[in-house]
Amino acid sequence: MISTKSLSRRGFLNMGVAAGAGYLLPKTGLISPAHAATPLAPVAEEDAHIAFGHTGPTSDEGWTWAHDQGMKAVEAAFPKLRTSYVESIPYSADATRIFRQFVADDANMVFATSNYGDFLYDVANRAPDVAFYECDGRSPLENLGTFYLSHWYPSYVAGIAAGAMSPSGKLGYVASFPVPSVYSGTNAFLMGARSVNPEATLQAIVINSWFDPQAATQAGTALIDNGCDVLFGIMDEAGYLQVAEERGAKAVMWNTDLRRYGPNAYISSIIVDFKDFYVEQVRRRLAGEWTPTQDLLPFGNGVDVDAWGESVPAEVAAKADAVKASILDGSFNPFVGELKDTKGNVKVAKGATMSEQELYHWNWSIEGVSGLDS
Amino acid sequence: MTSMRLQRMPLAPPRVAFALRVLSVVLAILTAALVLWGSGHNPLALGAKVISSTFGSSFGLEDLSLLFSPLIYCGLSVAVALRIGAWNIGAEGQFNFGALCATGVALFVSGPVWVILPLMGVAGMIGGALWILVPTLARAYADVSELITTLLMNFVAMLLVYWLATGPWLDPSGMALATTSRLPVSVPAFWGIVHWGLPIAILIAIALSLFVTYTRWGYEVRIAGANPGAARYAGMPVRTQLIGIMLLSGALAGLGGMMEVAGTVGRLQGGISNNYGYIGIMVAVLARAAPIGVLATAFFMAVLLNGGIVLQSQGLTTHTVLAVTGLILLYAAIGDEAAHYKILRTKAKDG
Amino acid sequence: MRDSASVQQRLGLTPGTPPILSLKSVSKYFPGVIANESVDLDVYPGEIHALLGENGAGKSTLMNIVTGIYKMDAGELIVDGRRRDFSSPTDAIEAGIGMVHQHFKLVRAFTVAENIHLGWPETPKRISRNSLETRTAQLATDLGLAVNPKAVVADLSTGEQQRVEILRVLARDAKLLILDEPTAVLTPQEARELFTALRAFTARGNAVIFISHKLEEVLEISDRITVLRNGEKVATEWTKDCTEKSLAQLMVGREIVLTETHKKSAIRVKAAPVLSLSDVSLKGEQDTVLKNISFDLYPGEILGIAGVAGNGQRELTYVISGLSQPSSGKIVLDGEDVTRAGARALAQKGIGHIPEDRLHSGMAPTLSITDNAVLREYGAPPLSRKGWFSPRGAANLAREIASIAEVMVPDFNMPARNLSGGNQQRLVARREMRIAERILIAAYPSRGLDVGAINTMMRYFLELRDSGVAVVLISEELEELLSFSDRIAVMFHGEIMGTCPTDKADAETIGLMMGGTRQEDLP
Ligand SMILES: Nc1ncnc2c1ncn2[C@@H]1O[C@H](COP(=O)(O)OP(=O)(O)OP(=O)(O)O)[C@@H](O)[C@H]1O
Ligand SMILES: [Mg+2]
Repeated sequence: MISTKSLSRRGFLNMGVAAGAGYLLPKTGLISPAHAATPLAPVAEEDAHIAFGHTGPTSDEGWTWAHDQGMKAVEAAFPKLRTSYVESIPYSADATRIFRQFVADDANMVFATSNYGDFLYDVANRAPDVAFYECDGRSPLENLGTFYLSHWYPSYVAGIAAGAMSPSGKLGYVASFPVPSVYSGTNAFLMGARSVNPEATLQAIVINSWFDPQAATQAGTALIDNGCDVLFGIMDEAGYLQVAEERGAKAVMWNTDLRRYGPNAYISSIIVDFKDFYVEQVRRRLAGEWTPTQDLLPFGNGVDVDAWGESVPAEVAAKADAVKASILDGSFNPFVGELKDTKGNVKVAKGATMSEQELYHWNWSIEGVSGLDS
Repeated sequence: MTSMRLQRMPLAPPRVAFALRVLSVVLAILTAALVLWGSGHNPLALGAKVISSTFGSSFGLEDLSLLFSPLIYCGLSVAVALRIGAWNIGAEGQFNFGALCATGVALFVSGPVWVILPLMGVAGMIGGALWILVPTLARAYADVSELITTLLMNFVAMLLVYWLATGPWLDPSGMALATTSRLPVSVPAFWGIVHWGLPIAILIAIALSLFVTYTRWGYEVRIAGANPGAARYAGMPVRTQLIGIMLLSGALAGLGGMMEVAGTVGRLQGGISNNYGYIGIMVAVLARAAPIGVLATAFFMAVLLNGGIVLQSQGLTTHTVLAVTGLILLYAAIGDEAAHYKILRTKAKDG
Repeated sequence: MRDSASVQQRLGLTPGTPPILSLKSVSKYFPGVIANESVDLDVYPGEIHALLGENGAGKSTLMNIVTGIYKMDAGELIVDGRRRDFSSPTDAIEAGIGMVHQHFKLVRAFTVAENIHLGWPETPKRISRNSLETRTAQLATDLGLAVNPKAVVADLSTGEQQRVEILRVLARDAKLLILDEPTAVLTPQEARELFTALRAFTARGNAVIFISHKLEEVLEISDRITVLRNGEKVATEWTKDCTEKSLAQLMVGREIVLTETHKKSAIRVKAAPVLSLSDVSLKGEQDTVLKNISFDLYPGEILGIAGVAGNGQRELTYVISGLSQPSSGKIVLDGEDVTRAGARALAQKGIGHIPEDRLHSGMAPTLSITDNAVLREYGAPPLSRKGWFSPRGAANLAREIASIAEVMVPDFNMPARNLSGGNQQRLVARREMRIAERILIAAYPSRGLDVGAINTMMRYFLELRDSGVAVVLISEELEELLSFSDRIAVMFHGEIMGTCPTDKADAETIGLMMGGTRQEDLP
């Protein structure tokens, strides 16, 4: 585990200043107040109440489980404070009701572990004394910060292995919604694959949910039926890995190490870890230092590729690891033009580097990706 | 020796029915308390929490009202169709499609609020009616059961909303995911964040109940719903009535969708219907399809669902909460049925 | 009361044989109604026991208690010497008591074989359609009731459906068969067959309880007769000792004066027909159900329609009342073409219609008595004004109709199905007579009515006629037609075989025409 100090030193990406304004800074910088606003008043640890609102069940062995580990880390670091959480919050007015219930229960800090948009914003807006954080959030407020992961780097690295291990060059992707995290994930993955197989393509299926094992399984089956031999996706659980295992295909997962569900199929996973981030933010809140930030947890510290699966050949692993190292030491950036969209328009000029802001807000598919752009 | 026996009566005396409903809810709460106590929670504290969080603050009351309103629209929608003997399982889809049509007006028609809002209401109602049109015609002209057709339309509506909200109508600002931009107009609030959708729903329920009792059409619908053969015999235009009522049913759900998108949520996005259409079926059945009854059962349901949310925030899992709400509903249904029984005491001479 | 020893002896049983069924002081109360009060009844093996009483006397209720549909409020039920307390018809059938109801309870979309085996514990869990049908055929021959196991119930005639109901009960080894007004819906021929089957059944040591309003039939078939009045038992008599007159008197509690043969109508002098049908045909789903029907109906006459049920009578009433529109031909009402006018317009023009199947087309049984009573007049003042409906006006009208129909109603908000069968019929009949300003179509109007009620109704028919209304009276009772109609038309296979004035008609010629002989071909 990384200490809070080392965390600050290595630095989160600070994403912005004033709400609504162009809020992404270049990919460096320490945690710094995003607002000129005065920090929220300190809270004694024994009086504090930290609440978490999750999109899925904490038992999902994936996304929500990882956030729940973060909550446990907070409990370990601050044993006297009170935590509470609600699972499986729908993206409907029910979300508002739950966040408001947290406020009514005197929460000092509320983490929404998915993008709840206005459902959270409206509550935060009316509770100025409570600190809010929204994962993958887009609309900051004086008491509402956002955080996410630069998962496009590990996705690119995993894509290299996928491209090398896909005889057909057809990749499949189980998508939740056509949203930026899915665009950046599919695009980065395909770019990684194309670095070893320029002919590779990616087909996505949208299932309108982050956690729906049955729909994910069906989508995985459909993709394999369509000739895809490596699956990727952005699911909170292991559904399509099992399909890949049964059908003799390969799969790249999200969130946690899931190789036990498909030892032969498993290539790797985009591993996430929110523990340090949560502990640090709660510390700031208790200490009276908290002002909202817009953070992207960087590659290697909060988001990473998992150790390679059994079936990944050593030379493939070596090649991908080398690219990973060059990304981490700053010598290589995969997201450099020329990039065209599915209609052939040049969207990123030759030689131009995509900024973190552009990557975070990526909302179009590159050439070779199908199933997302309507 | 006295023996006791039960006899089922065709009609439940209203007072007995009411008393039994209250009793069954009380019993259900007691059972739920036992279950909670058994699983290591403090039922008294939880109960107090539910009550204080729901009724004890304007926050709670606002939440309750915002939950109450769509349940009335959907409950009325299902109830009205039941009146003519049709099962509208598709209120969910009509709600979604009504919201979709209202959003279309809000996003693409410009004008003063007092024009746009009513126009959105009309669009929502037309949308809802449109969404039940095919099942209606299939039932009216080909005798195809509306049960399946209305249900299937739900999925189509849901997918349409997802598609529009994440595709063509996606918020271009990048400030929100998987949703349209915030609608430029909204149903005005009259208390906190509670908007006029609620009083309008209550007025509609009252109007419908008067309509059933005090209009000629209401009488005809009653006959046609109870026995279409008799309605035909009396020369009533049974098919026209069926079509009219089913479209009205769709329109009510569609209006509910418009109020939700323009009053409560502010944007069109997938999942906006939040199962209100399905819960509406329960609301209508518990209310025995009576519009005024829908007000009572929708309120009951809103308290129940809101209580569920409070319980979740107190560390109960969704499964426990579902079990508790399910238990209360089950008891209510049993109490309802029990009201039809009379206990008879008979002196039996054995020998 | 007779001592039971003599009863058993007269029934040819050994002395001391216990009754199959014995009721002691059975009472049943509904809100505001005493349906049964301290009724005693013994039914012995081998007897056909008739149950008589006016409409609403409590016959059906008493039998519903015996079969476990209702619970009695007081009293005892003894079956085969054991005190029993059935909580459902299944219990009763297990104890050997089965009932065929006034309104059949078959599943219309199922075949005969399926209906027989439905809900029967002895039906094997897995069984092929074929073996179901073989079993049914075997049962039918064993029990002497001919049915076609493959036929779908909806396609059967009423008589056949009833046979299926009886077979269903007998197959479950019933020792006591209860029949609630079984002959009301049967043709005389079907009634004959039923009686033969019943006699065979009792000859095997079983018993039958038989409810009917047709006194001559009761006198013919039963061994003993019990009469109920206002829920109380008045007497149990040996059939041999009874006459129609004595029974009627027992039922009503006073001597009843039956209307004497009526004066013929004040023959139309130069009146124009109120209704003319020319060449009216109607196509059914498979074949033509009405073929080239032409006749004139004059104000102030009763036109009787004779014929075996199912020969197009129902379709004829539908065409005249606007419920069906003819496929060809023309209908003229007082000079106006009404071929396609529809049911509502015709009702407004003064055509009343007492339908054959009151429960399915004339009423909404689950709705209140008030709602049912105003079915014809809800649309006009004082009940409706400018689209508004007055519940109070409706309640007043319902009360008025119930009182002239002589139906005692404790609560007008009670569902109409709670009324006794005869009282439902009375209500519908009165409701229709009120609007029949020009024509009254009465299809089997006396079905389910007690003797007194039939008499009253016929008197009203005559009054209507004398006031200039034309009455179309459809009946299977030749006697009823001969004594009340002015002319009689006979239907066969959707056609009219001939029409003749009643005074020139006799049972024999009408019988020939009912069998398909055309009037012009008569000897
Ligand atoms: N479920 C019920 N609720 C209330 N009243 C009832 C109910 N069933 C029967 N009654 C009343 O009980 C009385 C007896 O009815 P029942 O049906 O036994 O008469 P019945 O002798 O069979 O008459 P009918 O010859 O007309 O068939 C009637 O007044 C009827 O209205
Ligand atoms: Mg009866």
